[in-house]
Amino acid sequence: MLTFQEIILGLQRFWAKQGCLLIQPYDMEKGAGTFNPATFFGALGPKPTAVAYVEPSRRPGDGRYGDNPNRLGKYYQFQVLIKPAPAGIVPLYVRSLKALGLDPKKHDLRWMEDDWESPTLGASGVGWEVWLDGMEITQFTYFQQMGSLPVFPVSVEITYGLERIAMYLQKKSSVYDLAYDDKTTYGDLFHEAERQFSTYHFEAADAAMLSRHFEDCEKEGERLAALKLPLPAYDCVVRVSHLFNALEARGAVSVTERAQYIARVRGLAKKVMNLYLELEAAKEAAHV
Amino acid sequence: MSKDFILEIGTEPLPARFLAPVLEQLSAKMRAVLRENRLAYEKAQVLGTPRRLAVILTGVADRSAALSREVQGPPARLLKDESGGFTPQAEGFARKQGIKPEDLATVSTPKGEFLLARIHDPGEAASKIFARILPELITSLEFAKSLEWEPTRLRFGRPIRSLVALYGKSVIPLKLAGVRSGRTIFGPQRSALIKEAGEYAGKLKNLLVLADPEERRQVLTRLLETAVKQTGGKLDQEGGLLEETVFMTEHPVPVVGHFRLEFLALPAPLLKMVLKKQLKFFPLLGPGGLLPSFVGVRDGVSEGQAQVREGYERVLTARLSDAAFFLERDRKTSLQSKLPLLKRVTYQNKLGSMADKAGRVEALTGRIVGRLTAADFPVNEDSAGRIAALAYADLVCETVKEFPELQGLMAGWYARQDGLDERIALGLEEFYFPVGPRSPIPTTIEGAVASLAAKIDSLAAHFAVGNAPTSSADPFALRRQALGALRIVLEKQLPLDMEEMLSAALAGVRESLPLSPEDEKRILADLSDFLWGRAEGLFAEKDFSADEIRSVREGGLRHLPNAFRRLSAIHSVRRDPDFEPLAAVFKRAANILKQAVAKKEVIAQDGPQRSVLTEPAEIELFDCLEHVSGSVEQHLAEARFEEGLKEVVTLKPKLDAFFDKVMVMAEDRNLRAQRLALLSRLVRLITRIADLSEIQGPEKSSAQPVIVNR
Repeated sequence: MLTFQEIILGLQRFWAKQGCLLIQPYDMEKGAGTFNPATFFGALGPKPTAVAYVEPSRRPGDGRYGDNPNRLGKYYQFQVLIKPAPAGIVPLYVRSLKALGLDPKKHDLRWMEDDWESPTLGASGVGWEVWLDGMEITQFTYFQQMGSLPVFPVSVEITYGLERIAMYLQKKSSVYDLAYDDKTTYGDLFHEAERQFSTYHFEAADAAMLSRHFEDCEKEGERLAALKLPLPAYDCVVRVSHLFNALEARGAVSVTERAQYIARVRGLAKKVMNLYLELEAAKEAAHV
Repeated sequence: MSKDFILEIGTEPLPARFLAPVLEQLSAKMRAVLRENRLAYEKAQVLGTPRRLAVILTGVADRSAALSREVQGPPARLLKDESGGFTPQAEGFARKQGIKPEDLATVSTPKGEFLLARIHDPGEAASKIFARILPELITSLEFAKSLEWEPTRLRFGRPIRSLVALYGKSVIPLKLAGVRSGRTIFGPQRSALIKEAGEYAGKLKNLLVLADPEERRQVLTRLLETAVKQTGGKLDQEGGLLEETVFMTEHPVPVVGHFRLEFLALPAPLLKMVLKKQLKFFPLLGPGGLLPSFVGVRDGVSEGQAQVREGYERVLTARLSDAAFFLERDRKTSLQSKLPLLKRVTYQNKLGSMADKAGRVEALTGRIVGRLTAADFPVNEDSAGRIAALAYADLVCETVKEFPELQGLMAGWYARQDGLDERIALGLEEFYFPVGPRSPIPTTIEGAVASLAAKIDSLAAHFAVGNAPTSSADPFALRRQALGALRIVLEKQLPLDMEEMLSAALAGVRESLPLSPEDEKRILADLSDFLWGRAEGLFAEKDFSADEIRSVREGGLRHLPNAFRRLSAIHSVRRDPDFEPLAAVFKRAANILKQAVAKKEVIAQDGPQRSVLTEPAEIELFDCLEHVSGSVEQHLAEARFEEGLKEVVTLKPKLDAFFDKVMVMAEDRNLRAQRLALLSRLVRLITRIADLSEIQGPEKSSAQPVIVNR
């Protein structure tokens, strides 16, 4: 039986062998691995890329005070991004499962239509949820748009739900019972954090401060974009996106505000994206 | 010698919903393009799984049929110019027909001599034809949604990863989306080489692929029957899960699993939703309802069945625990106490929240109840009001957020938990009824009234913000809502003025969305036309003809059940030989009146008065009208329109005589005013049943279809 950390190690070894760079998580709060600059910028423009990384993902609204065995306010994704998408990517993914000791012949591996979309990044793709004996273990996406514009060449993004896979492999019905290694459970490590962060996000967070920070970060992002610094400006996109999630979890976003907040994050993301592409094109032109 | 042909497009997993439509296209397009190219074959069969789209042709001729034909061109004198060279006209014509100018012939016709191109197409080798037509055939397939994935930027439903195209033993060379055609097919575990087209079907079976959807359906049905037998239950197939499963698998294998008895305490619709929608499992029904068992269908072989079953059961347990958890949370507070949360749910951007919507629906329900009560129509005001007030409370429930399809059903369930009256619970449960054109409307009058109010409000609100349906798009399903509203009024026989209700609904909308009086007038007229348009559709379905339906438009929405009775009356009295001639005379009377009004003629306000009339024919008509009016009024008051109309028909001879002998537009102003008044009285009386001027003569009556889709 593979422990949680062995699953991570297994996936890292597998994808490193396929030529992926094993980068590290980005050091900011974010809702999904897609927000890591390696994916956001990696999927843009013509330059080939292949990366794999673990990404802690925070979803303040999904917290359940540690009471629900299947839902977490913070969990871990294992993300692979390859551009251009290789022709054999689907069988390659299936082989990655074999590397975790799963023999597809003895399981029901199902590809269910599921087209991923991120309204805050103006991003969307076409792909599937992969079901292993009914359990959703992976999101598999061919990126089609970023900042509402078509992306080319097309990247493929594979996002493994590490907890789900571990629960399957270890036959556990509560995420907190997962063996992180031989001695430590997932619960030992994170149960208390789930409880406290749920209290924080649902009850204790200072909404006025979050809202101020949103304003400040948004302004800062705009200012940095004007200074042609897309990478630091992108940090502001990640930050406002998380602040919006936190405000929403706190119940501080009204009906009409919600759409406006999303539009503001998307607007900034789009600006940063265009700036990045513009600078990349200029660099390319200077090389020629 | 004829040979077989096979095309297989190997793809990454295509969504189940794409398959049936694309297979249909593939079949139609393949047949059409073969016909176009005159390539004969015996049989065409289309196969498909999520991983492959295929066409098998048997007995394909090795060449297309030869064809000779002649095409007439420009006049023969244009063949050569003075210097003996071919003219540009002759060269152009020859080029267009694909022959040399020196091969042009001439033909004489009564109109003179013309150039003639004799074209002989000797036919083309089948393999050449396939190489030419297949790329276009493949790229022309359309999907509900497509993607790009490789450098040539081809669009398809999912990435194409292999191509097999064989005519007999030879590969038809193709290159699409970076994929070259070959002879290898891929099964779930292994691949196989196809030496000649005829082997395809057999080799697929060896790879454990049932490529024919029909065969897959049969196999699956049989396997399900066997699997279900051991459970003693019956498969719940509602909702098209069988069809979806056929298109989700290449080789379906059922797995029977079980869940803990305690989960049967969950509301059945919720339980079914988790099974069917979240996990694609078939629920099992026993004599007393759901059984604690299910059938999942895996794609593949039956190796590791126990492991798959355990996996299914674990996922199901997690999902059901989640559902139970949501249900528990929802039940912590009553429906009533959830209402303030509706302020946080958007109804429509410009129209505020669901709390606003609920307020409007409640007010409109009150108005409807008031009108019904005034008409002595029995309805419980409190219950109807409570249903309207609570109807949207389940939108903030976790279960409905997770499964929007359960809206209404959950409200009813929670209402029972809250100890509310069954009448209220049932009304909530059926609040969104009717869900389909043939499905039932709410059972109780209170539920029907609240549901009606919600539908009228939706129509008014969406028309007010400019979301009226167009011929191609109806994103807010307003046609369905209008149809639902009409069915409720007609089936419950509600004596309601729908024009008034639309106007009341729009007045409610106006509180959050300012409208100018002109806007409001225009929107109301649009709403009324739209609603009547739906009513026309409903009536047409009941076999009333277009002219009959038009004749009751006036006042139709002000009392729909009576509009229906008026229609039935016309439909039945129409068979009377005097009826259609009467309609013609009526039209004449109505026209005279219309013109008189246009010319600002005086119509005697106190009239008609018998003493002023002079001609015997008009006095007779007056007397007869006097006589008939009373009983017609009586019939109308009791909604006996057929009897009323029959009485009206008795006027026909007098009316004929009137038009024969009397000149309405007499010299004498006073007399003229009296005669117009006589006609006016007649027209008004008849119009209360129907505007007979809309009734077509016998030859035209059936030729005018009702336009249902407006």
